[in-house]
Amino acid sequence: MMFYLQLRNELLKLFGKKRTYIGFGTFLIAQNAMLLAFHFSNWERGVSRLLEGNGYLTANYISALSVALIMLFPQILFLMPLYACLVGGDMVAKEAEDGTLRMILSRPISRVRLLFIKWCAGIIFSILLVVVLGGMALLFARMWFPWKGMFVFIPEPERVFNVMSAAQGLKIYSLSHLFLGINAATMTTLAFMFSCFNMKPAAATVLGFSVLLLNLVMENIPFLQDYREYMLLYHFRAWVTVYGQPIPWSRILESLSILGAVNVTFFIIGCTVFQLRDIKS
Amino acid sequence: MIELRQICKTFGKLCAVTDLDLCVPKGEIFGLLGHNGAGKSTAIGMMLGQVWPTRGEIRICGHDVTRDRQKALQSVGAIFESPVFYDYFSGWRNLEILCHYSAPTPKARIAEVIEWVGLSGREKHKVRTYSHGMRARLALAQALLPKPELLILDEPSDGLDPEGIHEMRETILRLHRELGLTILLSSHLLNEVEQLCTRIAVMNKGKKVFEGKVSEAKQSKNWVRLRVGDFAEAVKCLRELKMVEEAREGQFITLSEGVTNDQIVKKVVEQGMPLFEIVGVEQTLEDFYLSLMKGSR
Repeated sequence: MMFYLQLRNELLKLFGKKRTYIGFGTFLIAQNAMLLAFHFSNWERGVSRLLEGNGYLTANYISALSVALIMLFPQILFLMPLYACLVGGDMVAKEAEDGTLRMILSRPISRVRLLFIKWCAGIIFSILLVVVLGGMALLFARMWFPWKGMFVFIPEPERVFNVMSAAQGLKIYSLSHLFLGINAATMTTLAFMFSCFNMKPAAATVLGFSVLLLNLVMENIPFLQDYREYMLLYHFRAWVTVYGQPIPWSRILESLSILGAVNVTFFIIGCTVFQLRDIKS
Repeated sequence: MIELRQICKTFGKLCAVTDLDLCVPKGEIFGLLGHNGAGKSTAIGMMLGQVWPTRGEIRICGHDVTRDRQKALQSVGAIFESPVFYDYFSGWRNLEILCHYSAPTPKARIAEVIEWVGLSGREKHKVRTYSHGMRARLALAQALLPKPELLILDEPSDGLDPEGIHEMRETILRLHRELGLTILLSSHLLNEVEQLCTRIAVMNKGKKVFEGKVSEAKQSKNWVRLRVGDFAEAVKCLRELKMVEEAREGQFITLSEGVTNDQIVKKVVEQGMPLFEIVGVEQTLEDFYLSLMKGSR
């Protein structure tokens, strides 16, 4: 009961702040901007070449589902990490900076419990962010494009090409969002870990985002190709592999286990640092 | 209620608190005095388990804070200087959030506390619309919610106007009188401490330089008002005879140990100086504090 009340309060605090909604607002703007670009450009020509070259009828696969998926990529690459880190980096450091953390810690609540509740709230936010992102992409795409079959083309390094019916496409689209939710949770946990150190919230956000950016840069350095599997981004890409035929479940499970372990490790590091540090005004 | 034994706290090379022993018995209003950086807030932070001591033992309500923080803080309420809340929520919502970190609290209790601190009618308004005085009252309300036996107040009057300071003083006295709370009060306002506290401890550079009753502090030096024809000449003469230790403001002297007013009168008259008045005066807490700081510099 107390856990529920405390978690509810954390969520109230999180969603009571205007900055929490920046991410949702930006997704809204970005998606509509992209849809306008789709509408007024000749993007379908390239897609037709690809589909018809493989023996598929273009008209059957230029659909809301296909467009929603295409729209997701830039947002997942740039916007989602930014907003996940923004909220994760704020969770502890902002309260410490404002002074409300001292008020909370004059209460008989253990620091570990407090962090766990905050982390749970962060995870809920991350999942909600992904659900809204995917839901809005599909909703807005449906307003401009018909409900038909879905085609997927993801170039190197994952190399996925697949076509499927609308029903199958929706199922896989939803499943991929489950894995995307885990990615967002990992990004939030990374920034959350930095937030537990004695630093400003902006510093925690920037550090979290920098680690992800560094991963991206390192992964694209040719002589580090052999170490790709040690990079976070390699495991983050598990979500796109669900669109493959057949679905590489062993690769997905491996990545999910590693991301789970990374989340727990980040949380333990944050917890240890927070437990040891002095909370002063 | 509060027991600190040989507490030390260092931040890198800086020694914030050194060998601090403190004992606050139940039912007392205890004042913790000291200038900025004297170590008061660090000591309070250690009492609340927010700052880890480098060495020593802290017991609150019989429980070791470092080992059993939750039990130790079960019956403790605290206020910090310039209280901060979630500005985007109402006073009521802030109280709800904070009390859920202690124990489930019925709405009736929140309403009762709001009534007690005099925030009725404004509890549903956003905290960002509150004045400094109202925030101070809200801080007091959150401290009172878990029905504490011990209140730790770190600069509770900080930033308040004279009316607010008076109101806060009256509230503290009322809390002590009506609810029988033990109160530890850290403050810069010597006048406030003098009016509220029964016992005080003075800290300087992380060390405790005095602990005792306020009355003891005020009588710790035997100040005498001496009105004579030539004060400077009289003091010079009495100093040569080792009858006077200090003199100030052209009329006050402190007598050496064992010297009485009669002996001073006799000597002054013997010197042929006109003597108008000699009377013992009680020093203020401010005089005591300043002389203590001067002495420990």
